[in-house]
Amino acid sequence: MRAAVAGALVGVVFGVVMSWSGMADPAVIREALLFQDAYLYGMFASAVLTAAIGVRVLARVQRRAVVTREPITLTTDQPERRHVTGALLFGAGWGVANVCPGPVAAQLGQGVAWSLITAVGVVAGVWLYLRRSGALETEPAAG
Amino acid sequence: MDDQLAWYVAGPVLGLCVVACRALFNGRLGVTGGFSELVTQLGRGSLRFDWRGWFALGIIGGGLLFALVRGGAGVDGYGWLTDTFDGSGGAFAIAAILLISGVAVGYGAKTAGGCTSGNGLTGSSLLSPASLVATATFFATAIVVAFAVEAVV
Repeated sequence: MRAAVAGALVGVVFGVVMSWSGMADPAVIREALLFQDAYLYGMFASAVLTAAIGVRVLARVQRRAVVTREPITLTTDQPERRHVTGALLFGAGWGVANVCPGPVAAQLGQGVAWSLITAVGVVAGVWLYLRRSGALETEPAAG
Repeated sequence: MDDQLAWYVAGPVLGLCVVACRALFNGRLGVTGGFSELVTQLGRGSLRFDWRGWFALGIIGGGLLFALVRGGAGVDGYGWLTDTFDGSGGAFAIAAILLISGVAVGYGAKTAGGCTSGNGLTGSSLLSPASLVATATFFATAIVVAFAVEAVV
């Protein structure tokens, strides 16, 4: 229950910022990818920098997660082939439709009609992956 | 869109969302992870979503809140697609392109272990080599594809 409320609250903040920053507008993303507008890059870089400093400070001052009581761990992964192939496919879709999963969710909330189709596609893609990896029949998969 | 939130405000707030997920759940903020949780639980006929599922639903709520306060969506049309295609044939073309692109985005993000948020924001901020590779790859790919689309339409 606490996890649901806390997760939803972070989501609301995330969704408002996605919307207010224009990231939910495919035209804005397209201008960024065509280097006509630097907004996305400034926002992205400042987000990564803030998070990078934030999680490191957090790991020093806090032992366990507030809601789950899990120990705070900052783990990293080594690149595998799938990180490249998956990103190629993802990037191609992003480059054509100019929306990614966060903005799709924000568009759904804003009532953008076309986002229903994009969302069906994203959900179908996720479902297809889960089905192929057997995650739908067995216990919950991580990630 | 007009009245766009300044990037130096939007970026740090998104960064703090990444920190919040770590502080609250020792979790990895990722919207694809949220979609994945919703699909998995709904596939089992369950509504017992973990925090990631609620995070994704919260984003929908955030979009709704924004539209209510603003008095309408912050999006006119749907980028180059609605600028390029019109009429009923055009609508069919847009729907087909969005559906295929959506599948590529969803399947690709799951394969790569994250999307713009999971790999791009969270993984990159941890300097996770896998996320840095994925982020560089999807940015480069999207830029090339966007220029290719620009050349055609």
